[in-house]
Amino acid sequence: MKRILSLALASALIAPQLATAQEAAPKIVDKPLEMTIHMHFRDKYVWKDDWPTAKELQRLTGIKLKNTASNATTISREAFNLLMASGDLPDIVAGNELRHDFVRYGMEGAFQPLNDLIEKHAPNLKKFLASNPEIKKAITAPDGNIYWIPYVPDGKYARGWFIRYDWLDKLGLKAPQTVDELYTVLQAFRDKDPNGNGQKDEVPLFFREPNSELQRLLVFWDGRSSGSDFAHDFYVDGGRIKHPYTGDNYRTGMRNIAKWYAEGLIDKEVFTRGARSREVLLGNNQGGMTYDWFASTASYNTSLKDKVPGLKFMAVEPPASPSGKRINENRRSRMRPDGWAMTVNNKHPVETIKLFDFYFSPQGRLLSNFGVAGVHYDMVDGKPRYKPEILNGKAPVNTQMWEIGAQIPIGFWQDYEYERQWTDQIALQGIDLYEKGNFLIDEFLGVSMTVDERQIFDRHMPNIQTYMLETMQAWILGSRNVDKDWEGYNAQLKKLGMEQVLAVMQTAYERQYR
Amino acid sequence: MAEVALDRESGGGPLRAMGGVIATPELATLRTAGSQAPGFGIRGWIRVLLADIRRDWQLYVLLAPMIIWFAVFLYTPMYGLQIAFKQYSLFRGIDGSPWVGFSNFVTLFNNEYFLRAIKNTLLISFYSLVFAFPMPVILALMFNEIQHNGFRKIAQTITYLPHFISVVIIAGLVINFLSPSSGIVNVLLAKMGFEKIYFLTIPDYFRPIFIGSNIWKEAGFESIIYLAAIAGINPALYESARIDGASRWQMMRYITIPSILPTVVIMLIIRIGNMIEVGFEYIVLLYQPATFETADVIATFIYRAGLQNNQYSIGAAAGLFNAVVAFILVYGANRLSRRVSQTSLW
Repeated sequence: MKRILSLALASALIAPQLATAQEAAPKIVDKPLEMTIHMHFRDKYVWKDDWPTAKELQRLTGIKLKNTASNATTISREAFNLLMASGDLPDIVAGNELRHDFVRYGMEGAFQPLNDLIEKHAPNLKKFLASNPEIKKAITAPDGNIYWIPYVPDGKYARGWFIRYDWLDKLGLKAPQTVDELYTVLQAFRDKDPNGNGQKDEVPLFFREPNSELQRLLVFWDGRSSGSDFAHDFYVDGGRIKHPYTGDNYRTGMRNIAKWYAEGLIDKEVFTRGARSREVLLGNNQGGMTYDWFASTASYNTSLKDKVPGLKFMAVEPPASPSGKRINENRRSRMRPDGWAMTVNNKHPVETIKLFDFYFSPQGRLLSNFGVAGVHYDMVDGKPRYKPEILNGKAPVNTQMWEIGAQIPIGFWQDYEYERQWTDQIALQGIDLYEKGNFLIDEFLGVSMTVDERQIFDRHMPNIQTYMLETMQAWILGSRNVDKDWEGYNAQLKKLGMEQVLAVMQTAYERQYR
Repeated sequence: MAEVALDRESGGGPLRAMGGVIATPELATLRTAGSQAPGFGIRGWIRVLLADIRRDWQLYVLLAPMIIWFAVFLYTPMYGLQIAFKQYSLFRGIDGSPWVGFSNFVTLFNNEYFLRAIKNTLLISFYSLVFAFPMPVILALMFNEIQHNGFRKIAQTITYLPHFISVVIIAGLVINFLSPSSGIVNVLLAKMGFEKIYFLTIPDYFRPIFIGSNIWKEAGFESIIYLAAIAGINPALYESARIDGASRWQMMRYITIPSILPTVVIMLIIRIGNMIEVGFEYIVLLYQPATFETADVIATFIYRAGLQNNQYSIGAAAGLFNAVVAFILVYGANRLSRRVSQTSLW
């Protein structure tokens, strides 16, 4: 009751302000319209019609969305499967990691094609897709239709290289600019006792996610580890689909990674140390360098200030490979596999597409990124600015936003400004450093396959990936040798159907992106 | 399950109630009669059943929840097994998805990694049978010989406790103990002058680690069943043996072990039936791509290849294969046991 009262009060207070700034856009419907939505996301949340953002949506557009997903299950994927199997579809389905389901079941008739609707009723979406043709191609199904509207992230850099500048200073070294310099630095970290405890317990290179981020080292020898936001994914090289774990650069990379591992430059326990290794190794003053998220990694400079005096763990540019290339492979994806779609049962397609369009309008972007004006943010000099109680709140700002129904995986267009406001200064410096060096590379946005293509892919790819990963680890650990195995490795990949997989990927890629 | 075994020992009534419809001799004869005259047979069968129910209705009420549970949760879902022979689409549903014959099975059995997973599953199960299965029996015998009551209770409690710890934590403990830099095992190895070993990345060590930690986790708890069986032995047997001058060892050898043997055999049959199922969470927590070679079992294979990629039909095909093999194993073990030891599940 108290909450409702304060909300009512809040909306009464902000009403005049909004009247000038936001009332310009007309409502989507004159009479209030209620539609049903199945939204279960990140294994934890469901759409709530008492979210401040949902109420604001209703006020601004006249549309109320009522959730049909059960909060009882803690697996979003199962909630979605159950929905599809029950056949009782609501008006809208939304959530994370549903891209391929939207396309597959869209082609089977579960979701409505949106192309004409966008053309006629969605000016903002139309403009967005026209200026982002790659995203338009990426969401288009093999039959040429668009069945879903994606979550479009913003910002450029996600992860970067971080190194102990205080150790570099202590040992009289400069930040490494090439792989050879890096090799020297890591050896010095290992041998010259930079933490000064008299023991040789330093771990020069460590990784919190050894099955996806350790492989980023391959870039130092002109290899690749993934073309997209997902580990071990294909990449595009001059219009050809390739897999990063093939080819000569991969071989060179593996040879060197194995050497570094054997010499103790890479954490000996990298594969089993687990998710807290960054915290542990930094906290024990043992870890020297890693590849991880800018914001969270930078924050250890503050949180470990007392435990590790003088800790200066800051971003360093990716060192140049032997051929002189400097790239940062990981980036913020331009498109998440999350979003929403309208089902065949939806009797209000025009209103629904207008709703989808609303989230790509300036007004909708503010709502989906920052919450409700006057409650969660204020406009300062024409820009949204979070209220101090949000910025200084106990939980991180993104968690707070999820609680009120902003920054959730519906089809919306993120604004990096939302994150910049609460990102650590050291992280922002790091991002600027990468921005200056322009280390960003293009990403592969993935393909949508026909049923037949998908079948071929599914028959071969899980085995290929299993084989690739187990061989890779054996090479790194030194139980097998990449140079001795190389011919056998390629022969086995061929036997497991690598060529067929590449062929269907190439066909799908050309259909979608040419 | 344990109670079934124990009750059979005392030849008690509950067994008659639980399996009575099938196992009573009158009905067995009726069934053979039925094969000659079906109409009479079924009518007769129902008449006897109704009479039985009227007489022992309390027992049937007790039985009802279990029958309903089986019908709802085990027999009804069998309808879905057909997706193993279909190209299943969630949206089209079970009836709407097209039939594809045995193609899902062909895909599976042409897959060398599935075959490897079968091999690994059977090997892990076999070694578990050899090394882990006798442990709770031995433990129970040992507990039985402890004279001091307080000590026995403490020892039992300590051995039960790991059973109640989540596998996630057990895996964490194992990883920590075996850590090459700070794990106790490697610290000891180093102290004794051996090279440190990164156990969890070496395929050869996976099975011993998996089975060994499982013994530590489960042996104490599983020994309860055998302790219960031992508690059910008639004390008069021991008394008369003592009068005859038998030593403790002889009493164990000639009274305790033969008395719990039927329980052991029943547990063994159940265990063999589950051979094809190796706990999936614990393996996922412990394995690495580097140890797939020995660690990848059917369950983890299905998890990676099927569920992660939503290949329900392949997953169902593998599941059906599992069930068929498990059925053959149970049936075989049961027959063998009936012939060898006159003890069997049915």
